[in-house]
Amino acid sequence: MAKLDAVDVVVVGAGLGGSALCARLSERAPHLRIVCLERGDWVDRSAMPAYRRDWQSAALGAWATSPNVRLSAGGSRSADYPIDDSASPIKPLLWNGVGGSTINWAAHVPRLHPSDFRTKTLDGVGDDWPFSYFDLEPYYDLNDTAMGIAGLAGDPAYPPKRSPRMPPVAIGRMGEAAARGFNAMGWHWWPADAAINTVDRGDRHACNNGGPCLMGCPIQAKASADIVYWPVALRNGVELRTHCVAQHVIVKGGRAIGLAYRDGNGATHEQPAAFTVVACNGIGTARLLLASNIGRGADGALGRHLMFHPIAYARGMFTEELDGPRGPVGACVYSHEFYEHRPGRPFTRGLQLQVTRENAPLHQAARLEPAWGEDAHTRLREEFRHSLPVMVVAEDLPDARNRVALAEGVAADGLPNIRVEYTLSENSRRILDFGLDRAEDMLHAAGAYRVARVPLAPLTGWHLLGTARMGDDPATSVTDGRGRCHAVANLIVADGSLFPTAGAVNPGATIAALALKIGDDLAREVGR
Amino acid sequence: MTSAFLRAIVDTLLPGDHRTPPLPSGTAAGVATELEHLVAGLDGALHNVVLHAVATAAGGQEAFVRADALGRIASVRTVEAEMPGPFRALVAVVLQDYYEADVVLLAMGWRAEPPQPQGHAVQPFDEALLGPVRRRGRMWR
Ligand SMILES: Cc1cc2nc3c(=O)[nH]c(=O)nc-3n(C[C@H](O)[C@H](O)[C@H](O)COP(=O)(O)OP(=O)(O)OC[C@H]3O[C@@H](n4cnc5c(N)ncnc54)[C@H](O)[C@@H]3O)c2cc1C
Ligand code: SF4
Repeated sequence: MAKLDAVDVVVVGAGLGGSALCARLSERAPHLRIVCLERGDWVDRSAMPAYRRDWQSAALGAWATSPNVRLSAGGSRSADYPIDDSASPIKPLLWNGVGGSTINWAAHVPRLHPSDFRTKTLDGVGDDWPFSYFDLEPYYDLNDTAMGIAGLAGDPAYPPKRSPRMPPVAIGRMGEAAARGFNAMGWHWWPADAAINTVDRGDRHACNNGGPCLMGCPIQAKASADIVYWPVALRNGVELRTHCVAQHVIVKGGRAIGLAYRDGNGATHEQPAAFTVVACNGIGTARLLLASNIGRGADGALGRHLMFHPIAYARGMFTEELDGPRGPVGACVYSHEFYEHRPGRPFTRGLQLQVTRENAPLHQAARLEPAWGEDAHTRLREEFRHSLPVMVVAEDLPDARNRVALAEGVAADGLPNIRVEYTLSENSRRILDFGLDRAEDMLHAAGAYRVARVPLAPLTGWHLLGTARMGDDPATSVTDGRGRCHAVANLIVADGSLFPTAGAVNPGATIAALALKIGDDLAREVGR
Repeated sequence: MTSAFLRAIVDTLLPGDHRTPPLPSGTAAGVATELEHLVAGLDGALHNVVLHAVATAAGGQEAFVRADALGRIASVRTVEAEMPGPFRALVAVVLQDYYEADVVLLAMGWRAEPPQPQGHAVQPFDEALLGPVRRRGRMWR
């Protein structure tokens, strides 16, 4: 193994957390030599399927959101590794390449609520975060400014947000139908905060409502870490090495002295560094740290407390024509009427009702039952451009039994195989059922003549959280509030695995804010 | 696998629909030709197993072709129950070809062009709808 020149900081993973950290740290401490290792490559926007006639089938193959589906389809640009998800009803979804999972995210970027940082104190469940919403607020603002947020000020579900906003993404007929329903019920709703341009900004065009954001946005209307944070980090001198798979963190005498990694030609290298930052997401980080033996012994929490946001769907059928697959798929309107904990409900904590756009015709046809024969035509006729999906997003409470664990054997990338073990809790089930009932109330109030339910949607493991959680107690957490591993102080985590609790909103804004904060903390420590 | 048999299978899975707007059958949308290519190629093995099973259930390829709609549906259902995974995979490829055919997308009142570069028009947002929500007090804790 070739030993390379030492650097100040080596970062693993050029996804959302890793990119934001690299940009911030390099800005605040320009004298540092920072290297980032990324297992995948830059995504080629001209290869994204949105311009092609076969774009619908691409989303079921090489451009699927599931790494396992992409691996079996072959030909993907994402540098995937297999994940054994047979013991989880929710399947992990992600992207491996520069930009990480923001390449195929929907860019709906709500913040956590202030109460989400204090669930133990306020509601007696989960754990408090080591800092408050208001400590993180300046970093939410920084991320908003970097990404560019379309949205509307004044949402009573949140403290006022100071960062500027572009006009909201058009909510269209579906958003307006939902608004009618929410208003009739007297419930909260608001247009989504979206990291999507609604006006041209520099090289990034305004969204033209093409639709399939989950296959990447070829016109760069949708923010992703590769186009938002990497230009800054590269300009500041951060070195990004693509096709480099970190194999293990090298620990000596209780300190991380660097990383072993394999490059695109299969050669292995040792990269010595004063600080090692791991940002490979809720699955990749646990995999790398478990493979490095960090989690054995005192750090028993590593890989555990995996939280998704369990998702159910209520789909209302309307006689009026709606927009179908027009518009950014995940950014429409949401309701936080049932977000905050309320004693007397059959569950603790809460949920988000997120109104989304519809699937493309092929995707809609492929999930219908029956999928063939005359009845299939009948079902699709009923739904296509006449259905309104409401996603019930449940807050999943941390449970040590839900975990990412090493499995037998070594994968092609040189790391141990990985498996996900997850059981939907009783509390999450009750949240989903309650949310489905409320979504159905709203849809009927909006004019739906029939509502179809999906009690738990399997291909919704977008949010991979909690597997290297922050906390004070090394028995129940992996890092402190600055992302430092309890067991190895100069080993830092900077991604979604840090979440002690998950709230009931999409985590991207919080992951970016956390990574920016950790970048600042580190810059302060090493001096500017 | 005869071409007549493949066409009969495709039109059993995707019959034409004469309601308004009318939808073409799978064969009229070109799906049978695609399927012929697929089963002749390297990736066709799994689908061939399903197709052979349908032929067997019907008493042979010709018998399937000669059968009426109900008879064909019965043979297909038998195989769907016997081997749900491989059957679903066959349906998936047939659906892909069908719902990516211009003639089908246009018949559905949609458009044949992909999402880019035109995008879509979505009506602007009427902020007055938010009146009742704006009048609410603070909801966060
Ligand atoms: C389809 C989809 C839709 C989504 N929609 C939304 C949304 O609307 N709003 C929202 O807030 N969130 C959304 N998310 C989730 C959001 O994208 C993720 O939570 C976020 O990107 C996670 O950030 P991260 O830094 O934890 O990891 P990632 O962004 O996943 O980055 C991890 C990086 O580490 C790299 N890596 C992994 N292992 C190694 C290794 N051993 N060596 C080198 N590199 C490695 C990977 O290649 C990857 O680039 C969505 C996700 C998906 C998949
Ligand atoms: S809908 Fe808008 S943001 Fe989404 S991929 Fe299309 S242009 Fe990009």
